[in-house]
Amino acid sequence: MARRRRFWPYLRAGLLTLALLAAGYTLYLDFRVRHEFEGRRFALPARIYAAPLELHVGLKVPEDDVVRELRELGYRPTARADGSGWYLRNGAELEIALRPFVFWDGPQPARRLRVAFEAGAVTALSDAQGGELALARLEPLPIGGIYPTNNEDRLLVRLSDVPKTLVKELIAVEDRNFYSHWGFDPRGIARAVLSLGSGHVQGGSTLTQQLVKNFFLSPERTIRRKLTELVMAVLLELHYSKQEILETYLNEIYLGQDRDRAIHGVGLAAQFYFDKPVGKLSLAESALLVGLVRGPAYYDPYRHPRRALKRRNLVLRETRDEGFISAAQYQAARATGLGLNPRPSTGTTPYPAFVDLVHRQLRHDYDEADLRSEGLRIFTTLDPRAQAAAEHALADRLAAFDRQGRFGKPGLEGAVVMADPQSGEVQALVGGRDPRYQGFNRALDAERQIGSLFKPAIYLTALEDPSRYTLATLLDDSKFVWQPPNSEPWRPENYDKQYHGQVPLYLALAHSYNVAAARLGTTLGLERVIATARKLGIGRELPSYPSTLLGAANLSPFEITQMYQTIASGGFRSPLHAIRDVTTMDGRPLKRYPLAVAQVFPPDPMYLLTAALQDVVREGTAQSLSNWLPPLGAAGKTGTTNEQRDAWFAGFSGGRVAVVWVGYDDNRPARLLGATAALPVWGEMMAALVPEPVAFPQPEDIEQVTIDPQSGLRADAACPGALALPFVKGSAPQERAPCAGNPVVDNVKGFFQRLLGQ
Amino acid sequence: MRLLFLLATLLAGCATAPPQAPSPLPPAPVAGAAPAVPAVPAAPSAPSAPAANPAVERLMASARADQAASRLGSAEATIERALRIAPHDARLWQQLARIRLQQGQYAQAESLAARSNTWAGGDNALRAENWKLIAQARDARGDDAGARAAQRNAERYGR
Repeated sequence: MARRRRFWPYLRAGLLTLALLAAGYTLYLDFRVRHEFEGRRFALPARIYAAPLELHVGLKVPEDDVVRELRELGYRPTARADGSGWYLRNGAELEIALRPFVFWDGPQPARRLRVAFEAGAVTALSDAQGGELALARLEPLPIGGIYPTNNEDRLLVRLSDVPKTLVKELIAVEDRNFYSHWGFDPRGIARAVLSLGSGHVQGGSTLTQQLVKNFFLSPERTIRRKLTELVMAVLLELHYSKQEILETYLNEIYLGQDRDRAIHGVGLAAQFYFDKPVGKLSLAESALLVGLVRGPAYYDPYRHPRRALKRRNLVLRETRDEGFISAAQYQAARATGLGLNPRPSTGTTPYPAFVDLVHRQLRHDYDEADLRSEGLRIFTTLDPRAQAAAEHALADRLAAFDRQGRFGKPGLEGAVVMADPQSGEVQALVGGRDPRYQGFNRALDAERQIGSLFKPAIYLTALEDPSRYTLATLLDDSKFVWQPPNSEPWRPENYDKQYHGQVPLYLALAHSYNVAAARLGTTLGLERVIATARKLGIGRELPSYPSTLLGAANLSPFEITQMYQTIASGGFRSPLHAIRDVTTMDGRPLKRYPLAVAQVFPPDPMYLLTAALQDVVREGTAQSLSNWLPPLGAAGKTGTTNEQRDAWFAGFSGGRVAVVWVGYDDNRPARLLGATAALPVWGEMMAALVPEPVAFPQPEDIEQVTIDPQSGLRADAACPGALALPFVKGSAPQERAPCAGNPVVDNVKGFFQRLLGQ
Repeated sequence: MRLLFLLATLLAGCATAPPQAPSPLPPAPVAGAAPAVPAVPAAPSAPSAPAANPAVERLMASARADQAASRLGSAEATIERALRIAPHDARLWQQLARIRLQQGQYAQAESLAARSNTWAGGDNALRAENWKLIAQARDARGDDAGARAAQRNAERYGR
């Protein structure tokens, strides 16, 4: 008795403590459930879009290219009386039912378009009633996103947008008593506990429990965790309505994997598997999604279509057995095929190199966490046609080298950057031979010797002073030794190991003579030339060695593109950029990235430099470009580095400036020239894009004068090989070449020019 | 010095049609009997007076309306959209320069007006307008000498 009495208070205290602990733990769980469920918003990735295609009369675009873009946007080639998202081809006319889209400058409603084509250009543009349209914008191609750390992707949907049948199927298969239970289903628990010993837990959890598990808990399977899950499920049911729980569940659930991208929620799953909004899913289609809940990998309809079909039909049968659908509905749905979206999977993005650039530029203005969770919409400058041309040209050329069998393994690599010279908008970016591979981005991060690509900086420095240098000025290409104080003498050599004597400036650049360029650069002064390169857009510090003149510095293809953008625009530097606009998820504008232009060189020397770079293509090291392009006055420069480790071509046509690099990642000699490895990629890519001729109106202060290239003096008809070159007025040589006559009239004219030029 | 300036303005004044310079500039080898002035291949696309493109005209008008209503961000976006269609239209560059001036971005305004000048071809009125814009931009930045020089250019072309 006494013993009992002594024991009882302890037991009571123990039980009380236990009860208090349990209550405390429940309170803690309650806090977590309320706090996290309410505070929790789904992390939505930033969505990235390419530049939209703007149709207008006169636009040079083949009909096939427009159709390809529509197909990539998921438009179907069949008319549907209602709805949008389709196109029809009637000979040279295209009828398009545009989907509505919220652009950065406001929403654009769904509309019908008629577009007529002739000879690769748009000749008429009208609406469905035949009313002429000035301009029509296709929706931009989605090209990827910036995802939460686990690459979760989803499209949020409201419960009211989800078909009732989908909800019924889900309840029939996953949780029949959903609307009546309090968060758990005793039969389900019993089943789960019993199967614990067998090593794998079979479902049996309610939808609420599944949600709790995905939301709050780690995936381990213990009794304690199961109990916590149960308590939290009950708490969730206490605080929230069935509708709220169901809506969250439908957005949370994991339904598939697209390479590195995890497909969450029925909204994105509907788009991924069927390319439609969730509201448009048929009975059979929604049954497939519901079937995936149990094992998106095991029932993956692309990999295991039979298994997926069987599972889908099971979902349909159970839905019928529950009385949610009729026998006739069941039979009809069962008879349909899977009807999957045939679009090949792209993972997080088909353009990892470009998206990488977008991401880096966004980081200047946004928190990483916001980019990965706020659902921002990023409108970029990517031109899908330019991108495709660049990818194909590089892959084709590298494949051709592979077939030659002399380049070993790992094979040659390459990179391409293309931009609009007028605005600095990046149109295409390829980071390696496999453009889908998300790895080393050579376009941005490969830092390689640039070789002769640097030479325009030397010649531009000279041409800025027309009283001393013109395109006809004879440069000395004889043996040259530079003795800097306190260091080894520098003896530059030409590629052909020859010296070429007196060479007019434009020819020295056209043939890329190293000795003449090195002598000119040291005469002008290393610092002046480096200052020119900086103004052209080379941001990083270049070493103050004479070898910098011949391109010993390591730069990325992207940095070189900036330099050539300034040249291609006639001296107006525009920072290369990949983003135009950023809006919130619902379309509110957040930030514009406006066109920025800085005039860093006057037009005259830029005009002369452009003429010289056109000579490189016309008669210099890039002559072979004529194998790909008609004479458009394209301008550019080849580059080949020591022991042929790097092959470069940088150049521009009317609307595009582009840089191509080819070499080995480990920097071993590639035994390739800029002209044989990089130039063909450039030529093939530009040829695919219907290039425009180079347009650089002749400035007022420029005149054309006929020159004898041998002597660099004025020529006339008697001189063989005479050549018209542009000169800043008054800077052309007055003296006549030995081959030319000496008429008085011209002398008088020359006198006036000298007078005005001073 | 003064004489030279006079001479220059005189000559500029005489030139009713200033050198309508052809664009791409491949220096052509002169074969046989060369004329006193070397033959330069005709321009495939004339830089000035671009063919009226209804899309560009519509966007320009819309941008002008935005400007009048002080919706400068929208005006800027619209002009950039037009420039993607017609990058060689000097009027568009000038309108963008004017927007930047209104926004107080004087360095941008000056560069954009200079950009417009490179595509202006024989349109002297447009050039004069560009130089006025440059003068205003320089004036706003406190560059008095530069502003005066730009103003002189404006007068030269405005004649």
